[in-house]
This record gives sequence, C-alpha cells and structure tokens, in this order.
Amino acid sequence: MLKHNKSAVFLLIAALPVALIGALGSGPVSVDLVSALAEGWGGQSSDAVILWQLRLPRALLALLVGAALGMGGAAMQGMLRNPLAEPALLGVSSGAALVAVLFLYYGTAWKSGWLLQALAIGGAFSAAAAVWLLAGRGASAGRLVLAGVAINAFLSALIALALNYAPSMFAMQEVVFWLMGSLANRGWDQLLLALPFLGLGAVCLFFTRNYLRALALGEDSAASLGFQSRMYPFIILLGIASAVGGAVAVAGTIGFVGLVVPHLVRPLVRQDPAKLLWVSALAGALLLLLADILVINVVGAQELRIGAVTAFIGAPFFFWLIVNARRGQWL
Amino acid sequence: MAAHSHKRYLPWWLLLGAALLFAGKAQAYERIASLNLCLDQVLLHWAKPADIVSLTWLSGAEQYRSLPIPQHVQLNRARAEELLPLQPDLVLAGQYGAQRAAQRLQTLGVHVVTIPDAYSLEQLQRQLDALEQVLGPLAPLQRQKRALSGLLEQSTGGGRPSAVILSANNITYGSGMLEHQLLQRAGFENLVSGQGLGRISLEEVIALRPDLLVFYGSEQHFALAYLAARHPVLQRYIDSGRTYTLPSQLSLCPVLAVVDTLQQLMDKRETLVKAQ
Repeated sequence: MLKHNKSAVFLLIAALPVALIGALGSGPVSVDLVSALAEGWGGQSSDAVILWQLRLPRALLALLVGAALGMGGAAMQGMLRNPLAEPALLGVSSGAALVAVLFLYYGTAWKSGWLLQALAIGGAFSAAAAVWLLAGRGASAGRLVLAGVAINAFLSALIALALNYAPSMFAMQEVVFWLMGSLANRGWDQLLLALPFLGLGAVCLFFTRNYLRALALGEDSAASLGFQSRMYPFIILLGIASAVGGAVAVAGTIGFVGLVVPHLVRPLVRQDPAKLLWVSALAGALLLLLADILVINVVGAQELRIGAVTAFIGAPFFFWLIVNARRGQWL
Repeated sequence: MAAHSHKRYLPWWLLLGAALLFAGKAQAYERIASLNLCLDQVLLHWAKPADIVSLTWLSGAEQYRSLPIPQHVQLNRARAEELLPLQPDLVLAGQYGAQRAAQRLQTLGVHVVTIPDAYSLEQLQRQLDALEQVLGPLAPLQRQKRALSGLLEQSTGGGRPSAVILSANNITYGSGMLEHQLLQRAGFENLVSGQGLGRISLEEVIALRPDLLVFYGSEQHFALAYLAARHPVLQRYIDSGRTYTLPSQLSLCPVLAVVDTLQQLMDKRETLVKAQ
C-alpha cells in the first residue's frame, strides 16, 4: 500500500511538467514551442513573446495559486480537524474580495494596478486577524470555526451590500468577475507580487507541521506532547492568510480547490497532516493548471472564469463526500 | 408675362417659405428636455443653454459629464411626472431606453421626438439629419455635418497600415461597426475581419502584429476589464508610439466625437506611413 501511495505521489510530481507543457502549448494561437524556447527570454518573434510573456507566467501563476489553495486547505482541515474546512472559512478570501470590491468601486484616484493586489492581501490579513481576535485567547477549533463563519458572513454581507449599490453595471461586472477568479491576462508582475506571500505562507506552515501531526490526536494530546503554546495556531493562521491572501489577490477567489484537494490526496499520505500540506500543494497546483488548460482549450479563452470550472469540479465532489458520509466510510 | 414671372420665381418662393418654416419650427422649441444621455450631450454642446429645461441625471454623473450643466436645468430620471411640470415644448428620446416615459408624455400631449441611434457612419449621417430637422440649422451642428462629409470625401492616399482594436474585456470591433469603419476610412486595414463585436486574446494581438494598436476609452481608473491593455507585453507598442486611444465619447455619443476621432486617426496613419 505504501509503495502504491509513493508511486501515486511520484505520478503527481511527474504529471506537473507534462501539464506545464500542455499549458504552454494551449492557446488561441498556434505556437512553435521549440523555436520559441530556443529564442529565449528576450526573443522578439510573436511565438517567443507569447510563450515567455503570456503563457509561461500564466501557467506558473496557476501552479502557485493552486499550490497555495491546496496547502491552505490542508492546513485549515488539519488545524480545525474538520473535513469541510477550507481557507475561505476564515474569511481570508472574503477579506481580500471585500477590499478588492471597495477598490474597484471607490479607487477612482488610484491608477496603479498593483495597489489592488497589495490591498487585497491586506484585506486577507485583516480578516484572519479579526477571526483570531473574535475567537479570543485559548480558543478551541470549534470556536475558531464559529468566529470564521461569523466574520465570513459579515464580510459576505458587506460584499452583497456593495454589489447592491453598484454605481454602474461595469462596476458590478468587475466585482462578479473578481469573485469568480481568473488567470486571464496575468503576467510576471502579478506572479512576482504573489510569490513572497506564498513563500512566507509555506515557511509558516513548514514550522507548524509537527504541531499539525500532534493535533491529529486531539488538542489535549497535542498539549501533552508539548504543543500547548498559542503560537502554533497563530502561525498557521498567518501562513494561511499569507499564502491564500496572496493567491486571491492576484487571481480572485477560486473556490473548492482548498476543500477538494486535501481529501483527494489524504489517502496517499496515510492521513499524515504534515505530508498532506506538501502533497496538497502539489495536487492543488496540478488541479488548477489542468482547470486552466480546460478553460483555454475547451471553453474558449475569456468567457468562463476558472472559479466557475473549479466550482463545477468541487460541487460534485461535495455530493460524493456526503454520500460517503452516509455510508459511514470516511467522514 | 406677370404670371410667367411668378412661375419662374416659384421655386425660390417655395424654398424661402420652407426655410422660414424650418427656421420658425426650430425657434419654436425653447423648452427642450432630453431622456437620453447622448442627446443630453448634443443639447449641451449645440443648443442654446437657455433652451434646455431638463437632462438625464447621467449627464450630471462625474464619469459622463463633458460640459458643466446650466444651473436652471433640472436633472431627470426618465419619469414622465418629472418632466410634465417643466412644460417642455420638445422632448428628445433615444431609440431605446425611457420608452415608457416617452410614450406616457406623448399620450399626455407633449411633443416627443425619437432620434435614431447610430452605430455606423451611414446611421450617424442620418442621425445628424434627424437632429437638424428637429433642432433646426444650428451652426455647430452644421459645422459637424460639413466636417464629417469633408473627411469622408477625403482620399487617404497610398500605404495602408494595419490596426487592431483592443477594448475593455478583450473586446474588438469587426466589420459593420462604427469603429471598424473609422479605421478603414482613415486608411487602416483592420486585421480583425469578423463581423460585429468579437473577443481577441493578447496572444492573437501579438500574433497579428498590427502596425497600430487601438485602445478604447480613457482609462482613468484601474479596472480588471483593462488588465489586457495594461499587460507589460504591450509596452513595446506604447514605447514606440504605435498606439491610439479612441475617446470614450465615441461609444457614448459618436455624433459628437466622430469628426475629431477620424481626423486623429488620419493623422496617426500619416505619421505611421512616414515612419515606415
């Protein structure tokens, strides 16, 4: 069984470059990949510009955002010991989205695009901080979930209010598109903006991997194993806010990846919450890249947002979860 | 002999009579209201401010305001009860929108004239004629008509650079659209050959390698819709001056913007041809 699981993980790793090549070869224009690659970064031909400036940053961003969402989902489910937990539960996505919505409405004097992303990351951190403060000192996983649901509901209400008073249909469209997530027209600038936050998130979660392992035995057992400090949940929250906030800031809210991916790969790591972080990151990256390839090739470039595709994958998965729970297999 | 003389001058008398009737008709409207944003702008630009009694509230909105609104002008939200107390002698309505209010006003005895919308050069010329017919021979309106006819008759000479329009949300304009016609009349070849509105990805823009990249609308604020136009991959076009931005007024009220836009596109073409 272990050998079988390891092979599956290696298969995941091997699938990434294949999917990457698939993504680089996908697009409305036929590109000679070999000659475009040979021309290198500074190539002036259309093929080289399309490959290096459009397709490569988009594919890498899909990998990064997918990894952040997958990893964030695994951390959330591990910390809250709740199979239905996902990063959005802590209001991280809503926090980023609300700030983006307010920016898109009232940011009339701000011309620079990066400010939207920077502020969205700030929104994600603020929402996570609000959850932390609302849950209070020594909060149990249950109280954190409750605080997350409350803050999330409040932020969603504010977004709905903003949508209700949308000054124009264009503003409303902007907000709706933001809430559906997209990787279209993203470039190196967005990738470079999100990268440090995703890196910080990964580092935070790396430091808490053993806490997540101990927590799998229960909060009391974790405390008896020396993990009683409130620092650990705080670092996990910081890591999730950083990684997912960075991802949402550049790609909008892409749902279901954080929920679905940890469930898919959990059997491969034999329920180990620490290993689950990295394998979820791997699988999240692969899933989002495949979803983006689907968006580009099947659906037709701009119209369908990637958030809609992941929701289409995620919703049936939810049904499957419920059916499995009814059978009493693993929920 | 006298009868013959009268017959000889008859056409001139008729013409004079028609002119007087026309002028008289135009002068009759001294309380004009509008139910359409473009017609608001037309009135603000071309009619006497004292003759305007009401415009739509959109004209007062920051993003659409092109000229200050005279203090006595009431802003309406296209409701018949707002306009009735103002006792307008002419209400201008667009082809679409505010139809209910226009019909209600008409049934209540108010003189409502519907001005057809314009989405092509031919329709624009018809719109100008319709405006002239109802508002009379206003000097700025006639200037615009003459300028447009003059530009349309002008030959663009040799050299036909290529162009592509990249508007918000990756929208582009193909044949049958005013924007496409303007490019062609200015001497460009629009590389998007499809019919009507379409979508164009950044990849397609790069692969088509147009001589001129045409953006649309003054990008005052950051918007997701303009992510494509802001993408660094287009920087080379901006750096080499091979871009032109169609004014947002062209989509709001083309009749006001068409002449300037066509002239600017013709100038741009000349510059590009000389540079080649």
